[in-house]
Amino acid sequence: MTAQIARVDLPTEGTVRRWIRETDQPLFLYVSFAVLISAFSLATPIFLTASNLLNIANQTALVTIMAMGVAFVIITAEIDLSVGSTLALSGVCAALFMRDAINNWLLAAIVAIAVGAMVGAVNGVLAVRIRIPSFLVTLGTLSMARGITLLVTGTSPVLVNNETFWSVFAEGTFIGIAAPILWTVLVVAIAWAVLHYGIFGRQLYATGGNIDAARFSGINTRRVKTVAFIVSGALAGLAGTIVAARGHAIRPDVGAGVELDVIAAVILGGVSLFGGKGKIYGVILGSLIIGILNNGLVLLGVDPSIQLTIKGFLIVVAVAFAKR
Amino acid sequence: MCPNNRSEFQAMGAQVTESEPLISMTGIVKRFGTVVALRGVDFELMPGEVHGLLGQNGAGKTTLIKVLAGIEAADAGEFRIAGERVHLSGVADSKARGISVVHQSLSLVPTLTVADNIFLGSESVRAGHLLDRRRMEVRAAEVLEHYGIPLRPSQPVSTLTFAYRQLLEIAKALAADSRVLILDEPTSSLTKAEEPILFGAVREVSRRGIGVIYVSHRLSEIMELTDRVTVFRDGANVGSFGTSQTSIPELVESIVGSRLDKLDTNRAGSRTEGDPKPEVLSLRDVHSPGVHGACLAVAAGDVVGLVGTTGSGRTEILETIFGARPIRRGFVTYRGESFAPRSIHDAIAKGIKLVPEDRHRWGLVLGHSIERNIAMANLPRWRRWRFLFRGDESRSGAEGVRQRLKIKAPSIDVRVEDLSGGNQQKVVIGKWLDGGTELLLLDEPTAGVDVGARADIYRIILQLADEGKAVVVSSSDYDELLQLCSSFVFIADGRVSSPIDRADVVDERDLHRRLEEARKEFSR
Repeated sequence: MTAQIARVDLPTEGTVRRWIRETDQPLFLYVSFAVLISAFSLATPIFLTASNLLNIANQTALVTIMAMGVAFVIITAEIDLSVGSTLALSGVCAALFMRDAINNWLLAAIVAIAVGAMVGAVNGVLAVRIRIPSFLVTLGTLSMARGITLLVTGTSPVLVNNETFWSVFAEGTFIGIAAPILWTVLVVAIAWAVLHYGIFGRQLYATGGNIDAARFSGINTRRVKTVAFIVSGALAGLAGTIVAARGHAIRPDVGAGVELDVIAAVILGGVSLFGGKGKIYGVILGSLIIGILNNGLVLLGVDPSIQLTIKGFLIVVAVAFAKR
Repeated sequence: MCPNNRSEFQAMGAQVTESEPLISMTGIVKRFGTVVALRGVDFELMPGEVHGLLGQNGAGKTTLIKVLAGIEAADAGEFRIAGERVHLSGVADSKARGISVVHQSLSLVPTLTVADNIFLGSESVRAGHLLDRRRMEVRAAEVLEHYGIPLRPSQPVSTLTFAYRQLLEIAKALAADSRVLILDEPTSSLTKAEEPILFGAVREVSRRGIGVIYVSHRLSEIMELTDRVTVFRDGANVGSFGTSQTSIPELVESIVGSRLDKLDTNRAGSRTEGDPKPEVLSLRDVHSPGVHGACLAVAAGDVVGLVGTTGSGRTEILETIFGARPIRRGFVTYRGESFAPRSIHDAIAKGIKLVPEDRHRWGLVLGHSIERNIAMANLPRWRRWRFLFRGDESRSGAEGVRQRLKIKAPSIDVRVEDLSGGNQQKVVIGKWLDGGTELLLLDEPTAGVDVGARADIYRIILQLADEGKAVVVSSSDYDELLQLCSSFVFIADGRVSSPIDRADVVDERDLHRRLEEARKEFSR
């Protein structure tokens, strides 16, 4: 009988258009990136200096690190709203550990990351095993982690008195690059390898793309999702470590609302909220857009309330453009 | 009762044939992407007629109903309602023109009365916002009496059994001035004892000039109830019959058809000779959700056909073997060892693979490429140093699958959502082509697949069997089963008959007869 013909676009389109299609990223991402940089460069001469750019990278480190973990979660078609509170809880635990137990920078960092991973594990178990929508679970842990943080600190800041800790996670430099940037590069490199060259990456994409088909292909989708939540929590723990080192102290209310920046970065970066789609370099660009926006708006002296409004608006626009 | 009713219809017949058809469709075409669901279908419904629609899954019945109900618009063809040419703009438009699809009591509010439900959304109102309860009850009683539906207006719906709730759905449609009722598998959720209630109401309604389209897989029902039957196959109307002039065997033949591209169906005979093949799988009295005491034996090189209607438990048996349903009781032996799959992962690791019935839901990630879909099922094979994925090997593996299965796509990077149904199905089968498959389970392997791709799929299934794999095929397509299988078992209510050899089955009709026998056996 008649042969079937696959519906495939013939390669007649221009290279630029094809590249944009094949990269799986919304054009919106690149346009907004370019527009932001040109706008701020024109608006303030300080913006495009090397020191300010490094400054942006340093300030964006926290968002970028957490965005990697949240991207894992969103690729599996779940969401993690708890990263801001997890950051605070882990940072506070590291600081308390150094103050009250052993004043060792490495053990403190391990404590912070372990606490973050535990919050992630709780998220994972509740969302995956007990099947509460992750939106609600992580909204709950957002509140719980913040509450515990306030409880253990008695709502006052915890001082960190360990020079190695300050140096390794915040103030040290290597070939002129600040420690938080180096940590970010390390995290990004690992996330990149895992997502694009790892077995786990394939499992994440398949689980988010069609959970039933992934299960019927022999993928343990529950484990995949749980691990994604744990990674997200652990990276929030690392971010908490950096926060504690930066200020030589940590306030229990730190990181409130930072999940907005993180999720905005991930969605702007072209990761589909419906799962199964997204690239690491998109998330890097998304994080930088958020960083540049924060930095530029501060340089321009925009009121913080306006900054919040702009960021919220941007998320909505990004989602509108990203939806298929 | 039944013949009496028919003669009465025929008495009306003279006047009916003179009147205009309620629905007249000519040359209706409907495409979904590259799949042609309806290829130039003609269909006619007269007032006062009960018109049966028959056909296998994917034959086009559902699509035709969707076109009638305004859910889908036809791509070509002429559609007339009561003589007027129409282009339905949606479900509301279809309803407004008097066409109602009777749902299986999903739209009823159990806490309200019969009258309340009949006028739900179009309540009689008095003095502003007060409900005029009496008026509604009177009008409901009028509708019920006019169409001879045995319900009382003041009855609460929660006290009604399933069959009467269906009558209420019918009454609801009639109260909204419907002239055409579409009943889609209305008896599928009724007990045997409840069926006459529905049949009686359908006859009463049609006697009053309403046209009824009655979709069912149950031929005995069609014979008993309908005046005319239209049979669909592969998206085409293959014939309309006066019910009194046709017979069940004739209908079966037009439902399953006879295909021109027959494969060598004699292979079964040669297969049964020679050395006994090692047994790969055996089930003894296995119970799981939907499976009630299944026995089954499959040897290497066997293609065992599961014969049964939709909902008979065919899918459930396959899913149980595949580890997707927990085994509650019974014994499973797999390759000489006792085996109870704890999970799908477990079954796959042991070489048991399933090609599921609904490829979009269970088989594919539509937005991902061919390579990604095939790799998803073969991740353990492409693992390196515990964590890394061997991308190059996965690509060459997928390329090999593409060539072997003749998947028509320019590269393995094409998204599967851009492929035709047949090529998508090949990708699903391709997931399991390599990688230690010992037992391949196929559930409706060619549903919605074109004839060309179908032949490719048959070829690969028979090749796998010749390589010594054990294969189980579940299908509602008798011709397919006869072409592929070396033996058959019959399935009804989650139970399995003893096997019969392919050589002992004459044709589709014989297969159907044996299924009916097995069903009677089980219901005893």
